[in-house]
Amino acid sequence: MSRLFIDFAIQAYLAGAAVGIAAPLIGCFLVQRRLSLIGDATGHLAFAGVAIGVAVGVAPIWGALLTALVGAVALEWLRAKGRLAGDVSLALIFYLGLALGLVVLSAHGGLTASSTGVLFGSIFTITWLDVWTIALLCALVVGAVALFYKELVAVALDEETARASGLPVDSLNVLLVVLTALLVAAGMRVVGLLLVAALLVIPVAAGARLAHSFRSAMLWAIAAGLTSTLAGLVVALLQGTIAPGGTIVLAAATVFAVAAVVGRRAARRHPRSSAA
Amino acid sequence: MSELTVELAGVRFGYGAAPILDGVDLTLGAGEFSVLAGANGSGKSTLLKLLVGLLRPNAGTVRVLGGSPTDPDIRRHVGYAPQGLRMATSLPVSVTEVVAAGLAPSKGMLRRLDRKDWTRVTEAIEAVGLGDLSAECLFELSGGQQQRAILARALVGHPRLLLLDEPTTGIDQRLRPALVRELRHRADDGATVIAVSHDPDEFHEVCERILVLVDGRLQRITHEEFHHQFHEHGAPG
Ligand SMILES: Nc1ncnc2c1ncn2[C@@H]1O[C@H](COP(=O)(O)OP(=O)(O)O)[C@@H](O)[C@H]1O
Ligand SMILES: [Mg+2]
Repeated sequence: MSRLFIDFAIQAYLAGAAVGIAAPLIGCFLVQRRLSLIGDATGHLAFAGVAIGVAVGVAPIWGALLTALVGAVALEWLRAKGRLAGDVSLALIFYLGLALGLVVLSAHGGLTASSTGVLFGSIFTITWLDVWTIALLCALVVGAVALFYKELVAVALDEETARASGLPVDSLNVLLVVLTALLVAAGMRVVGLLLVAALLVIPVAAGARLAHSFRSAMLWAIAAGLTSTLAGLVVALLQGTIAPGGTIVLAAATVFAVAAVVGRRAARRHPRSSAA
Repeated sequence: MSELTVELAGVRFGYGAAPILDGVDLTLGAGEFSVLAGANGSGKSTLLKLLVGLLRPNAGTVRVLGGSPTDPDIRRHVGYAPQGLRMATSLPVSVTEVVAAGLAPSKGMLRRLDRKDWTRVTEAIEAVGLGDLSAECLFELSGGQQQRAILARALVGHPRLLLLDEPTTGIDQRLRPALVRELRHRADDGATVIAVSHDPDEFHEVCERILVLVDGRLQRITHEEFHHQFHEHGAPG
């Protein structure tokens, strides 16, 4: 039990909690607009960024952040122009990011255990500097969502009408992908670039089952995200050898399953009228 | 009341090569209430989208409230209710949240809705008769109830130009007169109202004129003329 409270465990809880809260928060807007694959694509592109960073001697998180930002804005630009329709173009970006990262990393002899950490998380080896960086990135995400909440909600509900009513929809869309990029960089150490999008989506799907409004769905999603990261970390710490990135996402899937059952029960107990 | 709120001159538009609108002219002033009629596919929704700047004309000019329909400062004074629900349904959204979204543009960035704003939201929800359902999830309501929530979102900011695409379609017959009266009140307060409808009769007592789209052109006619031209052969559309 004592291993649950040693230094690196505390660091992991703090970083995990920050991401567990911020990921579902931004995920709500992505899921509502069916943009969650953008989070995935950004994660894959960031792997190429980490590799290039290693090649030129930059810390992984900054390489990831920079490519995630450039990649996310480029993806949004393509999407707004209607060039991202269909899953083939997104799949192309996924594999391009991974393959490019693989080539650059191996060419520079960086294809070691640490690249597994980039892809699947390495939260038990983080430093206090990492913790503060992750916390700062997540605080930026939470702060921006709080500041632009009513605009982001209006666009998430109905983009066309939001545009017609004078909201700067294009700028808000860029803001959304920029925040997604920050979150991807923050989540890299916690669950890894391949799994970070799971935290954008699964807790949100759980929250959606439990609520009747966007705001309450968001709060439930945050609760689900926080519970999943902490539970996943505790399980990994107690067991000792399994990767926390995996246990966190499995915990999120469990929370979703529970929410789906509870949500269906509640719906049966309060059948909604559907009179005209 | 002489201020022009809608000015269309020689407007042509087509999604492809075939023109949908082929030389539409129209001027409307503050406080005028018009019904827009025409057969299915005649271009009624298209005309409203040109008026809110979601589409640009191929030729001719569109001016609303004295400016461009794509100018954000103009758009803040335009209330638009699209035809049917155009929302992703992945996450639940309450009726209150949908209607409150209608205040986001006029409130301005970085400002939270205050108590007065929430009173307006409540009033708009009550005006469309959804008072008991304000906390319910929009996607669990009937089509007519959803349409009323969308109407409330267009009404909540008290816009100077109201563009309503089939605001009464799918809505319970008994509830329609109250909605029609509410729209008349808005016109009396100085708003220009254009409501698309297949059944101009339901607006008989409140609107000055009927606009009918026929072959890409707009005709201004009276209720009597409308009956004369169309009702003998059944309502258009
Ligand atoms: N986005 C679109 N792309 C191509 N054609 C369209 C589009 N929207 C509408 N149309 C066509 O334009 C015509 C007018 O449509 P619309 O304005 O919706 O008619 P109404 O609202 O009067 O029923 C119809 O023939 C319709 O099929
Ligand atoms: Mg239509």
